[in-house]
Amino acid sequence: MGIVKDLLKGLAVTGRTMIGTITGRELVTRPYPHVKREKPQRFHGRHVLNRYPDGMEKCIGCELCAGACPAECIYVRGKENDIDNPVSPGERFGYVYEINMLRCIFCGLCVEACPTEAITMTHLFEMSTTNREDGIYTKDELLMSPDGKVPHMFPDDPLADLGELDTADGWVRATAPGGRAAYQGVRMWAGTPGVGDWSPEPSQEERDRRSGDG
Amino acid sequence: MTTEREMVDTVTITVDGVEHQVPAGELLIKAAQDKGTYIPRFCWHERMAPVGMCRMCLVEIETPRGPALVPACTTPVNDGMVVDTKGATVAKAQEAVLEYLLINHPLDCPVCDKGGECPLQDQAMSHGPGESRFVEFKRTFEKPISISELVLLDRERCILCARCTRFSEEVSGDPLIEFIDRGNHVQVNTFPDEPFRSYFSGNTVQICPVGALTAKPYRFRARPWDLEKVESSSLFDTAHPRIEIHTSHDVVLRFTGVDNDATNHGWLSDKARFGFQYISSDDRVLVPLVRQDGEHVEAEWNEALQHAADRLGMIKDESGGEALAVLGGAQGTNEDAYALSRFARQVLGTNNVDARMDDALASHFLAATVDRARINDLDTADTIVLWGPDLKEEHPTLYLRARRAAQDLGVELVVVHPRANGLDDRAGHKITYRPGGGFALLEAFGRGDHPEFDAAVNGKKVVALVGMTDLADGPKLPEAVAAYLRSKAASCKILPLNSRGNTYGALDMGLAPDLLPGRVALDSESAGRLAGHWGQIPARPGRDTRGILEAVVAGEIRGLVLVGADPVRDVPDSALVAEAFEAAEFVVSIDTFVHDSNRSADVILPAATLSEKDGTVTNVEGRVQRVNQIRRPPGQTRTDWAILEDLSALIGSPMGLTSAETITKEIAEVAPVYAGVSWDLLEWDHRDGVVLPIEGPAPLTHIPVMLEGHGAPQAEFTLHAARVMYDDGVRLRHSPALRKLAPGAIACINPADAPKLGAREGARVRLVTRQGEGEFDVVLDEGTPSGVVYVPLNQRGGVSLGTDPVVRVTVVT
Repeated sequence: MGIVKDLLKGLAVTGRTMIGTITGRELVTRPYPHVKREKPQRFHGRHVLNRYPDGMEKCIGCELCAGACPAECIYVRGKENDIDNPVSPGERFGYVYEINMLRCIFCGLCVEACPTEAITMTHLFEMSTTNREDGIYTKDELLMSPDGKVPHMFPDDPLADLGELDTADGWVRATAPGGRAAYQGVRMWAGTPGVGDWSPEPSQEERDRRSGDG
Repeated sequence: MTTEREMVDTVTITVDGVEHQVPAGELLIKAAQDKGTYIPRFCWHERMAPVGMCRMCLVEIETPRGPALVPACTTPVNDGMVVDTKGATVAKAQEAVLEYLLINHPLDCPVCDKGGECPLQDQAMSHGPGESRFVEFKRTFEKPISISELVLLDRERCILCARCTRFSEEVSGDPLIEFIDRGNHVQVNTFPDEPFRSYFSGNTVQICPVGALTAKPYRFRARPWDLEKVESSSLFDTAHPRIEIHTSHDVVLRFTGVDNDATNHGWLSDKARFGFQYISSDDRVLVPLVRQDGEHVEAEWNEALQHAADRLGMIKDESGGEALAVLGGAQGTNEDAYALSRFARQVLGTNNVDARMDDALASHFLAATVDRARINDLDTADTIVLWGPDLKEEHPTLYLRARRAAQDLGVELVVVHPRANGLDDRAGHKITYRPGGGFALLEAFGRGDHPEFDAAVNGKKVVALVGMTDLADGPKLPEAVAAYLRSKAASCKILPLNSRGNTYGALDMGLAPDLLPGRVALDSESAGRLAGHWGQIPARPGRDTRGILEAVVAGEIRGLVLVGADPVRDVPDSALVAEAFEAAEFVVSIDTFVHDSNRSADVILPAATLSEKDGTVTNVEGRVQRVNQIRRPPGQTRTDWAILEDLSALIGSPMGLTSAETITKEIAEVAPVYAGVSWDLLEWDHRDGVVLPIEGPAPLTHIPVMLEGHGAPQAEFTLHAARVMYDDGVRLRHSPALRKLAPGAIACINPADAPKLGAREGARVRLVTRQGEGEFDVVLDEGTPSGVVYVPLNQRGGVSLGTDPVVRVTVVT
């Protein structure tokens, strides 16, 4: 008697799970790539090179990311800005910027090393290619366009989630000022990759007042 | 050695609780450093006098009045001194100093070329407070200003340590950079309208402890952690200063000076520092070129080699080895020179070889002077006599060493030169003479017409730097000068000067018509010693460069092999060279670039250059040092010795050379004076090189003799044509940063002569000598005496005026 009872008990679990799976109530797998799992806020996906709101590139070609990279997958070369037509604020800009995504281990040390928050990570992780060359991302792929959109490698892919590139990994450090005096007090971009949501840059007078000198 | 060390007075000091014996009178910072305790510093530099500007080296010493903070860089050690370099008081003092230094220092580190190798960055990490309390505005200046063609100055970053100003004033002797303004507005800057045009400006970039002075050729090219480094020797200077070659991704990005007691003390001339650009030039010859129907076409290595071997072999079979000649070899390594010397003798069967370009001293004098001085002898001499080229222009390392000896070590300096000379301001006596009047002046010395010269020389310990002041006096004068000084001085050591990279090494390898490897004369005995390796070699001495060119014109020499040589530009008698190259039947050139001399060569074989090959080189004092490879030879370029080895095999007499290191071994076996030289020795035991011979006397000794010369030329104007640091030489021509520094085709005349000629600054004059004529731009120059026309040699747009000093000047416009 006891045996039958135990058997029925076990079959009930099987049946419940079967029905739960068919109805979707107890699904543990997902029909990827049609349905994608929501990623944690700080997911380390593919990199993006950011711009300032005025359109200037944030990257100054300092190579600190390349120095920090444990996989040695970043190659950067700096160049002097043309004074009349600068690419980035200051003297130097990132002339060459390449990441070999086949080598990258997505540790995020480059993001941490960057003094200007030029490089941040997005939620996009699908980067398979059919040849090795396409695994090397250059400035063409990495740099966001002046409107703040990041070029997707496969924009026509019906399965690609274009929104992944618009989601930052949320890791932002409050350091560098916005770059131009005209943007003092202007709120930084929100909701775009890497920039996060932070308060506007205070003026020097404001800072003096706060420190009690003003 | 031990006894010598004991003889130095020592005192006992206690550094951080540990007792040390240190030389008496030494500065505390240096004594502590030598005993392994690093005291942080910015302004103090081992090769310059201390100033105590930055206060970073504060340490605490016990005094009768209790512990006191003193700067270690201006405090000499005393017996029983007790020093604390790490205690709480010292740490607090150093932190405070750093905090103050950082008040005005901008946070440029990510874009600063010094970032990553910056003493301020490093010491802010190791000795700094870790955090800044200052939120105020920093002092601002215009971001980098260009203070010369090579150097940028960012005054915001400057911490006012005075290293650059002291270097310019004390070491290089061109005080062109100075502090201006007062108080909070003090800044380093150049004088208005006067750029930092020093031949040594690059050193200030290297010793700047922050990124205030940066070099334009290296600007934003790489960060320190990209760089791969190897030590080597510079061939832009006959003293072969030690350099470190820095590359990133196989591209040479900079040279830095390496401190070296024997030669350069860490300093480099700008030519030696920034002359690296030619290595990565787009104009390098990267594939073999063969001339077909008047045009060079790219060829496979085997085609080009076979073609060269066939033609050279054919000439040898038809007219014998005497119909072939080899020019050059002074720009490569000793191994390359040895291979070339052996190739000429063994394979071509000729002694017509010369590494000198008819503008140098006698081969025996250069290679085998019996009482050859060492560079360090300059420091201990009573008197230095310079009767030769302007050291500042041609021998920058010797210039710095002679200047230091005269300025800081109390050595008397006598300069004999036809015009203003870089060392004039430190010369106890300066004797000026008319170009071409050298022998007349020497006779006047002999008659006792210059008592102050006699007083400085007679019975003294003299080091003589002799060479050709210009082309007018000819190569015999320096030898006569050396002989004269030997007869007068109590002891005389001689440095015979010659420009061009590795001439001394080339001559040591036998690249002269009357020399064989190892400073031996071409005779049956030395030929016998070589027979095991070289087989039979021709017994009769060959022709020198001039002889070779004349023989080519006469049709006696049919084939020429040029190795890193540009005789069209370098040989003074340009008419003769032009005629010779017109007449030459077959010319093979092993070179890095296409230039005037090989433009119509039948075969050009692409060669590797410095940083692309290993080997050894020999400098002006006979010191052998290593050069090291760090990058792959680009394209299909190969080392000279490997090219020559293949040629020798194709001609049918293979030399059997297999690697640069085995060639060094072979040299040590067959070249007497090189006995004992090996790469192990130079890499481990003697990183600064060894002066040859290591043991025993040199086999060939040359004693300079008094030679008769011509009297002073009688003419209204005499020509002083001399080499300057920046010219239109092949390597400089392809180094963009230095190319624009060349003075160009100018003729300097004294302002007093200008009205006589009707010339003004910038006017164009026509200079006519017996051997050449050309047009030059006039520069009025106080340094050129009246009646002298000074023309820098080998300039773009200029022509060679030959060796005759009589010149006729006519104004064109």
